[in-house]
Amino acid sequence: MAIEMIMPKVDMDQETGTVVEWLKSDGQSVEEGEVILVIETDKIAIDVESPGSGILNGISAIPGDVVPIGTVIAFILAEGEELPDQPAKAVEPAQADPPPQVSDPVPATQDVSATPVARKMAQSQGVDLSTIKGSGSGGKITKADVEAALGSAMPLSPGDILASPAARRIARVKDINLGLVKGTGPGGRIQGFDVEAYIPSKSQVGLPALSSPPIGDSIPLIGMRKKIAERLTESYQSIPHIQFTSRVDMSNFIKARNDYNELALKRGDEKISVTAMLVKMVGMILADHRMLNSSIIDDKIMVHPDINIGVAVALEEGLIVPVVKNADQKGISQIAVESSDLVNRARQEKLTNADVKGGTFTITNLGPFGVEQFNAIINPPEAGILAIGATTSEVVATPDGAIAVRPIMRFTLSADHRIVDGAVAARFIADLKTTLENPVLMNY
Amino acid sequence: MALTKEKAENYLLQMYQIRAFEEQAEKSYMAGKIHGTMHLSIGQEASAVGSISTLEPTDYIIGHHRGHGLTIAKGADLNLMMAEFYGKENGYCRGRGGSMHIADVAGGNLGANGVVGGGIPLAVGVGIALKMQAENRVLLAFFGDGAASTGAFHESMILAVLFQVPVVFICENNQYAMSFAANDWTTSKKIAAHGEIYGMAESCSTDGNDLLEVQSAVEAAVKRAREGGGPSLIVNDTYRWRGHSKSDRNRYRTNEEIEEWKKKDPIVKFRKHVVSKKILTEKEVEKIKEQGYADIEAARIFAEASPEPAIETLEEGVYAP
Amino acid sequence: MREITYLEAVREAMTQEMERDPRVFMIGEDIGEYGGAFQVSYGMLEKFGPERILDTPITELTLTGAATGAALIGMRPIAEIMFMDFTTLASEQLVNQAAKLRFMFGGQSTVPLVLRTPAGSGTGAAEHHSQSFENWFVHVPGLKVVMPTTPYDVKGLLVSSIRDDNPVVFIEHKLLYKTKGDVPEELYEIPLGKADVKREGKDLTIVATAIMVQRSLQAAEELAKEGLDIEVVDPRTLRPLDTETIVNSVKKTGKVLIVHEAVKTGGFGGELAGVIAESEAFGYLEAPIIRLAGREVPIPYNRNLEQKSVPQVEDIIEKARELATLKV
Repeated sequence: MAIEMIMPKVDMDQETGTVVEWLKSDGQSVEEGEVILVIETDKIAIDVESPGSGILNGISAIPGDVVPIGTVIAFILAEGEELPDQPAKAVEPAQADPPPQVSDPVPATQDVSATPVARKMAQSQGVDLSTIKGSGSGGKITKADVEAALGSAMPLSPGDILASPAARRIARVKDINLGLVKGTGPGGRIQGFDVEAYIPSKSQVGLPALSSPPIGDSIPLIGMRKKIAERLTESYQSIPHIQFTSRVDMSNFIKARNDYNELALKRGDEKISVTAMLVKMVGMILADHRMLNSSIIDDKIMVHPDINIGVAVALEEGLIVPVVKNADQKGISQIAVESSDLVNRARQEKLTNADVKGGTFTITNLGPFGVEQFNAIINPPEAGILAIGATTSEVVATPDGAIAVRPIMRFTLSADHRIVDGAVAARFIADLKTTLENPVLMNY
Repeated sequence: MALTKEKAENYLLQMYQIRAFEEQAEKSYMAGKIHGTMHLSIGQEASAVGSISTLEPTDYIIGHHRGHGLTIAKGADLNLMMAEFYGKENGYCRGRGGSMHIADVAGGNLGANGVVGGGIPLAVGVGIALKMQAENRVLLAFFGDGAASTGAFHESMILAVLFQVPVVFICENNQYAMSFAANDWTTSKKIAAHGEIYGMAESCSTDGNDLLEVQSAVEAAVKRAREGGGPSLIVNDTYRWRGHSKSDRNRYRTNEEIEEWKKKDPIVKFRKHVVSKKILTEKEVEKIKEQGYADIEAARIFAEASPEPAIETLEEGVYAP
Repeated sequence: MREITYLEAVREAMTQEMERDPRVFMIGEDIGEYGGAFQVSYGMLEKFGPERILDTPITELTLTGAATGAALIGMRPIAEIMFMDFTTLASEQLVNQAAKLRFMFGGQSTVPLVLRTPAGSGTGAAEHHSQSFENWFVHVPGLKVVMPTTPYDVKGLLVSSIRDDNPVVFIEHKLLYKTKGDVPEELYEIPLGKADVKREGKDLTIVATAIMVQRSLQAAEELAKEGLDIEVVDPRTLRPLDTETIVNSVKKTGKVLIVHEAVKTGGFGGELAGVIAESEAFGYLEAPIIRLAGREVPIPYNRNLEQKSVPQVEDIIEKARELATLKV
């Protein structure tokens, strides 16, 4: 009896998984429990084990494919067994705890007879299987049927650039990013003369990237990048953001940090980072401002019992947000150990699913990059995100009207206006400012 | 022709060189020194030497894949021949031909051939050219009983007669194609009869293990060809002691049959003849035998010391400039 | 200069070469008194006698082998296989012997053989008398393959082929025999391995063989009225191929349409497409390389079906227009 291998569900709100790499191929023997596939969810890469022992066969999803959870993507066969005929059944996602987001029900196409590949292709290209006539045995819909339905030219996966060889050569020679050129050829293909005619617009600012993307090549929008794109688009479009900026005198903060680190050095403890202090402070303050620690779920505002602060870490391929759990209940040293560990493992791509789950508020710090002030986009389903800017020496007026030079930092809170009104946000800001300028309040 | 002492020595030496070459080829092969396969003609020495001894140095032969004996009988340089067998750069064919395709064009040997019946149409063309060139040369075209069933053979008989080419077609019937017994579909006499059927003036079959009988028949045919009498077909009835090629398990014949034919060893037969006719003494015959084996040993040493072709020269010689 | 037919040009090339070089002779079926199936050798028996015009019974395999054997010891034979369809019978001697003897013998010999054969469809001769197998022989190292399209080209190329010391498969499209063109009276050579740009243009390159050159030129004239400027390249020799001329043309236009009569699958067009795609021209392509070729059928008898089995002028116009205007 052939064992089905399905795209597994590992996250509560996960609807699809992206195939990253098969570690075994069609025809090779596998053991139950052996890791034979790597997939990626919106958060991180996951190892998938073989559901049984036997011969792996009938792989129908290849690296880059985005597959709905529960879809059969391979079979484990006994010696001499043939691949089964039955169409794949898409499995309903199990509803365990109330998820923070509503997941869409699986499209009701599992009643239509289709091969797994055809089903996957139809799903990703947005084709309704019930409208297609199948040419396979018993009227089963095959990949060719779906392709025919889509027309003779297969639409591209988002992120592919269709360009002639001439266009690519000219773009390479002229150092033009093909992704910016509009194509006038068939199907929007970029021709050589399109590249010749292209004039780069002046509004492109060359930001120092973590690494320069290859010029003239396409970067597929898959996996993490795609997920980030989708989540932030959704956030930006569906959450009404209000932003509040405040200026903070960091003199006392800096002194406190130095004092901590003298002690830490003496004890051989983890150094106390700016991040750790921020996490501790924000965690403490959120306890008094619970609305900023909530989420809208099913038309209800769920105020979270735990305060789990996510710390945004920049990676080569995007952004990842590991979470310090129960930040309000931990000492600064422990938070320092945890946040340091999380940031390191994030950079080594060794975070587990647990590390990135359950965040209730996010801090993002572009101070080290010299960014003065910025407005961050909320990480759904959270209610707010705190953007920390650079600390620089500025000329200020003291209360008694004198001129002084102080280390000044600007932070900006973006909040979900559906949950948080201006006044609520303003009170949070005030408390945060006060605590930043008087770190001793952390010990209250 | 009369069998002088000198001729007897030459014929015997050639037969021993052939025998020694084939035995050495077998040894080298089993020692793993030879790539591919080979087709031994041990037992067929009289057919080769008897036939080719009738030729002038300027005459031609063209052969088949079991052609080592033919090549030696045509006066090949044994070193160059052995080097080619070993696939070396200074072999006759620069190592490109190997056992099945050895040729010495300058020496009048137009080559062995890897296709059964491949050389017979070529022979017709060589004959046409010899006639046009009008230099009184003839060609001996060798093939086996296996080729006698091919379309090429029959078409060639027709065209050879039509154009009256100066070619003596010699079928060495060693009783088996690869494993298919000639006697299951024909006999030496019947093959020879095709000569007449197709319109040749003369054709006949001989005891292929009797050097003098072979020589006599071929000599007459060569004379006829040279005088414009057209082609002949001669069938030499003989036997190969070894299998078709190295991978032959001899499943299609019996050991008894092989032993029977070994008793008709053409070299032994000729030896007995020249000794009994007092043309050569036993001692002289022994010395000739030693000479033959020594020549082959020298060729082996030469071949094994010869260089391999350089990889860079792979594509040379496909086209004439 | 006088105008003669392609057929007369073939006869003239052979006649003049045979007069010049006593080593040249002809061998084939019905080439003597009958004058050849297409009348190519008409009159040659009278001129050269049966010693040099060798008429044979039906023996494709052995007449090819005989020509090869004669070439092996210094003659320069021209063998004729009446229809290219029958080169299947000659293949053993052509492919296993003629093509390989020089290499197999380590360069000891040459085979200066020309094997002439009429090919192509359009005469209603159907399945066994209409095929084009040029790609089979392009595939064989040791052979050269020539496919001339005009009376001027055929004479010069046949002279060169006879003078070449290698076996040459010389393919004459039947429908070209009656076409006329200017041909010099004297002997002249056109080198093998040199293509000819039959029409210069800048919008699209058509690489075509045999009768498709003529049809492509007609198509180009039509398309010129629509303002499309088509370049037509005639390789003339398929092996060895003049890749430089073809590559330069594709670099210039950025688009290439390959047109040949033989069946598309496994046809010479695939080889050409591969050559272009592997060359410098690849970086200049604005569109895919397109092949227009024979349909996947043996040539049928019915006239309309026969016509539709191979590219006609309208088909070339349509494909060329599509490619030149970047609809593909």
